[in-house]
Amino acid sequence: MRTLVNLSLVTLLMSSTEAYAYVDPGSGSVIVTTVLGLIAAVGYTFRKYFYKLRRMILGKSSNDEPGKHT
Amino acid sequence: MMVVNAGSFRDPVNRVYEVSPPGEKSRKRILRGVNQGALEAYQELANQNFYKRLVERGHVVKTSIAPNDDPDASAIIAQGWSGVLEHETVPFVSYPYEWTFSMLRDAAMLQLHIIEKSIENGWTLKDATPYNIQFVGPRAVFIDIPSFEVRVKGEPWSGYRQFSSMFLTPLLLKSHLGIDQIPILRSYLDGVPPTEAIKYFKGLSRFKKGVMSHITFPAMVENSIAARERDDAPAKKRTTKGQSNAMVLGLVQSLSRLIKSLKPDTQHTDWSDYDKTHSYESEDFVVKKTFVQKYAAHSARDHIWDIGCNTGIFSRICSPHCNLVVSLDGDHAAVEKLYLKEKEEKNSNILPLVMNLSNISPGQGWAGSERQAFDKRKGPDLVLCLALIHHIRMSANIPNVLFLEWLRSLNSDVVLEFVNREDEMVVKLLTNKKEQYEDYDIEQFISEAELFFAVENREPLKGGKRELFFLKPI
Repeated sequence: MRTLVNLSLVTLLMSSTEAYAYVDPGSGSVIVTTVLGLIAAVGYTFRKYFYKLRRMILGKSSNDEPGKHT
Repeated sequence: MMVVNAGSFRDPVNRVYEVSPPGEKSRKRILRGVNQGALEAYQELANQNFYKRLVERGHVVKTSIAPNDDPDASAIIAQGWSGVLEHETVPFVSYPYEWTFSMLRDAAMLQLHIIEKSIENGWTLKDATPYNIQFVGPRAVFIDIPSFEVRVKGEPWSGYRQFSSMFLTPLLLKSHLGIDQIPILRSYLDGVPPTEAIKYFKGLSRFKKGVMSHITFPAMVENSIAARERDDAPAKKRTTKGQSNAMVLGLVQSLSRLIKSLKPDTQHTDWSDYDKTHSYESEDFVVKKTFVQKYAAHSARDHIWDIGCNTGIFSRICSPHCNLVVSLDGDHAAVEKLYLKEKEEKNSNILPLVMNLSNISPGQGWAGSERQAFDKRKGPDLVLCLALIHHIRMSANIPNVLFLEWLRSLNSDVVLEFVNREDEMVVKLLTNKKEQYEDYDIEQFISEAELFFAVENREPLKGGKRELFFLKPI
């Protein structure tokens, strides 16, 4: 995901300006989470099926602790 | 006595109340008044298997519904709430700007783990602030139950920006640029917005892991919206639907991998190897340990503070004799070392915190009380203050009498080690100083200590170069 985002953004680097009082600074989160989420969903879906297959072959594993995914 | 928690007003669906039974300040109940919606959400949440597992594993604070005939609950319901939740008490409240890098990282991983489990089971968390996490000893626990809500299908992760500003950005600043996250978090109580965070990353550092995705891109989006919607331009309504589980979980898991990969930019400091480099002969060290142990075990202690704890040798000596040791030091590397060791111990009761003792955490946030000053939270029964006072006097320029007055304000017993002028560490401190602190000597120290304390015991160390004192407040 990092590479994809780097490539898509490398041409867009620009200097920052300040946010203004009547504009909700968080209102861009929907755009940000949509773009990042779409890219992340590809890897997530691949991993989900990969781990499912691995579980079928190797048996169960737990992801009940922080930082562990299956 | 019931007091409203001054930091719990932000979410209008609930309010936290602290109840101390008369004469028993140490046995505090934590009750939360909730409105009808939050009460029903909790009743549904409590039946969810994923939530039960989070509680069983100690990731989420134990909670129950207080019966309506409970007098404290009745008093809260009389204030207009529909029901009352009771939470297991967190022994000592700490804030993200007192945590080491690894503590903040572990809190971030816990937050992500809980959001992941919630999304997988049709729930979500409405926010993502580190103030919803507390440390019980060295173990992170999520405490904000009303943050759980049923997820509307297609809803984005509304806590993303808050998570990024309050957890991720400080971790990236420390890991990628070596910038201390503690003063940043102490100043930006709502986190570092991406439009500010981007200013720290110059040149090639913008290409470091996670910066483009979670700082540069959000900053560009926010700046672009601000430019389009400023002045009298109307704000555009943005749809909040259309994000699949895969999108949200993919984002959460990619953040989890990113954060797991971050390492603190920690260097060796004077204190991080204290357990190997201290200036004592072994016999003196035994005398010091015995003295500390004697007074830690002297009477029933609830909390002991070890101020200037280094890597926590004396905190560990106190640990079996009290319910909690709060171990403070201004040296991040030393406290980090203590945290990493303690979190591996089963049932450790040591809470390590980073704090400059000449500038302890003040009251902050709304009305200066939303985040409590360090010394206005739960007080100690014993303070260890070992080989600290010469730093307070000569490095921070704080007169001994002011330091002793502050110690007295804690209203607890004190074990203090005075380091005489002849000690090689004081000689080293004074070597290149113009000011020689002529007022710093043991006789003056004793006369000033006796203004506030009774000197109950004394024990010389290192042939009289140092001296241990047991002080009781008068």
